[in-house]
Amino acid sequence: MARTLRYILFISVGLSMLVGLFFRPEHPHFWWERVPASDAIFGFLGCILLVVGSKVLGHYWLQRDEDYYSD
Amino acid sequence: MINPIPPAFVFIIGAILIPIVRERRLRQLFQLLIPAIAFADLLYMGHGTYWSYHFLGYELIFGRVDKLSLCFGYVFVIIAFLGMFYALHVRDVGQHVAAFLYIGSALGITFAGDLFTLFAFWEIMAIASVFLIWFQRDTAALDAGFRYIMVHIFGGCVLLAGIIIHVVNTGSTHFGLIEYGGLASQLILLGFIINAAVPPLHAWLADAYPEATVTGAVFLSAFTTKSAVYVLLRAFPGVELLMWLGAIMAVYGVVYAIMENDIRRLLSYHIISQVGYMVCGVGIGTEMGLNGSVAHAFCHILYKALLFMGTGAVIHVTGRRKVTELQGRNLYKMMPICLSLYLIAGFSISGVPLFNGFVSKTMVVAAAGGIHSVPIHLLLHLASIGTFFSTTLKLPYGTWFGKAPEGEKIEEIEAKEPPSNMLIAMGLTAFLCIFIGCYPRVLYDILPYSVHYHPYASYHVAATMQLLLFTAAVFWLFIDKLGGHATISLDTDWFYRKPGMLLLWFCSHPLQRLRFGLQHLLSRMVANVAGLSKNPILLPEIAIRYIHLRIISRLYHISGLSEDKLEELRELESRYDAIRKITYDKDVYRRPIGFGVLLAVVLLFLYGLIYFIRSR
Repeated sequence: MARTLRYILFISVGLSMLVGLFFRPEHPHFWWERVPASDAIFGFLGCILLVVGSKVLGHYWLQRDEDYYSD
Repeated sequence: MINPIPPAFVFIIGAILIPIVRERRLRQLFQLLIPAIAFADLLYMGHGTYWSYHFLGYELIFGRVDKLSLCFGYVFVIIAFLGMFYALHVRDVGQHVAAFLYIGSALGITFAGDLFTLFAFWEIMAIASVFLIWFQRDTAALDAGFRYIMVHIFGGCVLLAGIIIHVVNTGSTHFGLIEYGGLASQLILLGFIINAAVPPLHAWLADAYPEATVTGAVFLSAFTTKSAVYVLLRAFPGVELLMWLGAIMAVYGVVYAIMENDIRRLLSYHIISQVGYMVCGVGIGTEMGLNGSVAHAFCHILYKALLFMGTGAVIHVTGRRKVTELQGRNLYKMMPICLSLYLIAGFSISGVPLFNGFVSKTMVVAAAGGIHSVPIHLLLHLASIGTFFSTTLKLPYGTWFGKAPEGEKIEEIEAKEPPSNMLIAMGLTAFLCIFIGCYPRVLYDILPYSVHYHPYASYHVAATMQLLLFTAAVFWLFIDKLGGHATISLDTDWFYRKPGMLLLWFCSHPLQRLRFGLQHLLSRMVANVAGLSKNPILLPEIAIRYIHLRIISRLYHISGLSEDKLEELRELESRYDAIRKITYDKDVYRRPIGFGVLLAVVLLFLYGLIYFIRSR
């Protein structure tokens, strides 16, 4: 199960990279849309930023015990 | 063309009739029949204005029908049917009544052609929806419901103030494009964005929705925020403020969702995030932006309902609602169908190609590209990443799979697939999500403006897949660190919950003391007065004797007491006591007055009689 899932993921990563390499937008709105795999990079970095950012925010400031409001 | 009834009233009359149908099977049929009738009603309506009535010099319009209102009308009725199907097993009739009133008021808002009708349905919606929370019947739901209704009543007051100023200024109650600028439009906008859950006025949503009943949350996820998006589309397209607020709220919701442990609260933060796309589309204001906003509202209602149905099924079956209580229990073995249907909704909200979120969300993102706004574009992309991360990867992993923290004792959960009506409703909703994803034309054809947008360009599909796959890669890397934590996150509701508790403390301690002190003082005064008032007629004489006694005794005390002076004082005191003991016979005074009144009435009667006889 996990192995097939992994294969599917690897194949779709490869496929999306290939398609992204050969088909470029005709009228790009932003400069990075001309860079191949820019969305992959954005996805990777953006996700790390979001996860680390919200973990830090939660840990140092926002997260409280579940009975915070009930005492 | 004859239109029998506005769609809002189909549901409101349905709500009144539900309790009358006692037979359970018949009632279930009736619950499904009402949305079907409403849908037929919608199909029967052509564009135009119907059902306008004059009331106190103003015109009330219950049916302003055009492409925009019809589009929202369709999806509201569709989700009413699916949500009712999901809720068929519920035996609590009150819940169905509240749901129908809620749906009816949302449709009323959608087809309202004037501001007063809009306001009336706005208030009905707030009141009907709070019962979907209260029917959960626990303390947390009761408290959250009260906070919810107070925020909405505040929002309603702001809206009403704005409407009154607007009507006085312009002299028109017509609900259409409102020029942004000036107090009236700002107040109306504020009223609208409270219901759209725009931060920092969003906390009611994440506070209350997770406390609602399993079936109630499905309805709640669909109507309040989306009818707010509808009124924003109608009144404030192209207001730049909304573009920024929308993009920020899209990321705001996502960040809070990542921190969240309660599965339905996590999804509630994603409502805020997704409504952010719609609000942003309204603010962009181009045809593409507005179309994107409508399309996304349409798709969002479907997949968000399905997400709430899936998590609701888990809560219905296990009674647990937190990742920390569910992870490591291997629920995927016990409820695989539920998991698969949930994942379809997850793929839809994340905008995976072939699912409906892809064909609508990308319209808003493309509209942001169309106006060449870099920050908006990046914020919306970031929100997409976070959406996929928490709704499609983290939540299902934690709920159905997951590993419990080491050392924690895992008690087995008895779980099975939810009742068949829940599964069928989820299946139908999932079908619609995929159907619209594969044939976006059915959606694009009913949008307010003509669509020249092709979501399935090869580049576009590849770029979306890259974005999502690399998000999944990050999830894979951090998977061991992403277990839930049993915490809550502070949000802007802190600003009314904590001071609210301070206010309660102030009331129950210092204010309570003051009350007791005053009560004691006043009741003593009252007791004294009551003692005196036993004989009001003698009151002046008692007062005179008392003062006389006091003065004499004071003087005698100063000048020195002798035997005869004491005797005189005792004499005075006994006379004073004697007069206080005389009881008051009220009839002594009442009889002469009563007799006088009787005499007057008799004479008046005689006079009237004579006058009457004489005048003939």
